[in-house]
Amino acid sequence: MVRIKYRYLLVNILYPEQEVQNKKQLPAGSKDSLPYTVQFRRPGPDSLNGKLLSRLIREGVADLFGDYGSGMVSGSLMVKYCSQATSTAIIRVARAHYRMVWAALSFMTSMPVKAGEVPCVFQVVRLSGTIRKSEEEAIRRARLQIRRAQRANGGDADAAVKAVDGAVDAEGDLAMADGIEDFEGEGDESDG
Amino acid sequence: MFYDLNVPWTANDTGLPRTLNFLYELGYSVVALNYILIGKLPNELSCAIPNPLPYKDLPSKLEIRRRITVTLTDSLQNARLNALAAQYDILALRPTDEKTLQLACGSLDCDIISLDLSQRFPFHFKIKTLTEAIKLGKKIEICYGHGLLGDSQGRRNLISNVTQIIRATRSRGLIISSEAKGAVACRGPWDAINLSAVWGLGQERGYEAMTKEARNALVGAQLKRSSFRGVINVVHGGEKPAPEVKAGATEKKGEAQKQKGQMTNGQGANGQKRKSDALGSETNDSGSGIPMSKTQMKKRAKKEKMEAESKAAKSTGDAKSN
Repeated sequence: MVRIKYRYLLVNILYPEQEVQNKKQLPAGSKDSLPYTVQFRRPGPDSLNGKLLSRLIREGVADLFGDYGSGMVSGSLMVKYCSQATSTAIIRVARAHYRMVWAALSFMTSMPVKAGEVPCVFQVVRLSGTIRKSEEEAIRRARLQIRRAQRANGGDADAAVKAVDGAVDAEGDLAMADGIEDFEGEGDESDG
Repeated sequence: MFYDLNVPWTANDTGLPRTLNFLYELGYSVVALNYILIGKLPNELSCAIPNPLPYKDLPSKLEIRRRITVTLTDSLQNARLNALAAQYDILALRPTDEKTLQLACGSLDCDIISLDLSQRFPFHFKIKTLTEAIKLGKKIEICYGHGLLGDSQGRRNLISNVTQIIRATRSRGLIISSEAKGAVACRGPWDAINLSAVWGLGQERGYEAMTKEARNALVGAQLKRSSFRGVINVVHGGEKPAPEVKAGATEKKGEAQKQKGQMTNGQGANGQKRKSDALGSETNDSGSGIPMSKTQMKKRAKKEKMEAESKAAKSTGDAKSN
């Protein structure tokens, strides 16, 4: 009996535009008060859940790769984890076809909400063969993001936090840690 | 170090700081602001992008360069292209048809060849023209931004053009950049590499296109501007730092040098004296205007030689006694 091999994509959802709904509540001057890094990595819309994400990916794959792509992907595609609060998701897909799903994620530009659409960018930050590694990476990144946000905020306000941060970590690296874990999927490039 | 060498710049673009911050957030470390010039070159060549930029909240660690893209049409006079290039960090050319593409690949001096990939070209990209450009160190740019936001027709053209370019260049000398008209069209570096992998560029080649090749383009352009014919550049003039030696040591050394100097000076003077004296006497003689007989000349020469030798013997004797 041979195990079916999967790839787990750890995805961060970034929101490049300003939040529109809260504009009324905020006073006019404080629009830009949040640092950019916090704005980009804010919690997603309430409607975001695994079901919606799965539907979006299937539509994207069908749009880009047609019936062939959606047929190849649909058997193995599964949203393992989707957090609206941290805008993080883990997506499982068969190893042979992960590039199609990744491309579909790259081509997504917006997410439907109740009133219209929210522009968003999906960034794959980790590609691994086991879900455990993805989880560990997600936790590591969440920590770094918090630290980063604190640093961005404490530039002039909270010196104590800043000092502690400086001791803990010079600069959190949020780039893809060690690139792509392996290149076993290379043979399937011609599929696209 | 990931590079995005194409971020369109327009005056009064309020979204630019957001775009730059977003690029930094995605993991890019060097971006080039791109000023697109269509039509004739202006009379006064100057950099349209102000330095420093008039925005406050830019990420401090993001390196920002300035690039100009000149759209090539048949009527363009390219005499002043080099003068224009000197105002910017990178010069890119955007050919519109086969003839201008050949021109850009061959004779025109530029750093990047950037085609508008969202339109359909009525000709094939020839291996010969593109490899010629790559041999000259020019890079060919793939912009994915249009494919993300445009309609499906634009996306289709983009994919078809990219595959053709990859075939014609044999996946060498390519750079990938965003040409993003807003933060939404930017993608992370690895996402762009994956896209290019789906389009037929190997993953390693895609990685190089985001990092190594883009850096080559940038550094090559810099060298062209600052160095002698792009070959030799003075990085450091070799100025000696101010001497920092202890006072006692310098005195001792100074004495030693003095002695040495005397010796060498004495010898040197002797060596030279002989010649210069001989010359001087000759010139004097010739100055009187009376021609000398050969025997006279020989006599004089011998006399002077003797004198000089005796002097030299004296001086060396002095030096030895010292």
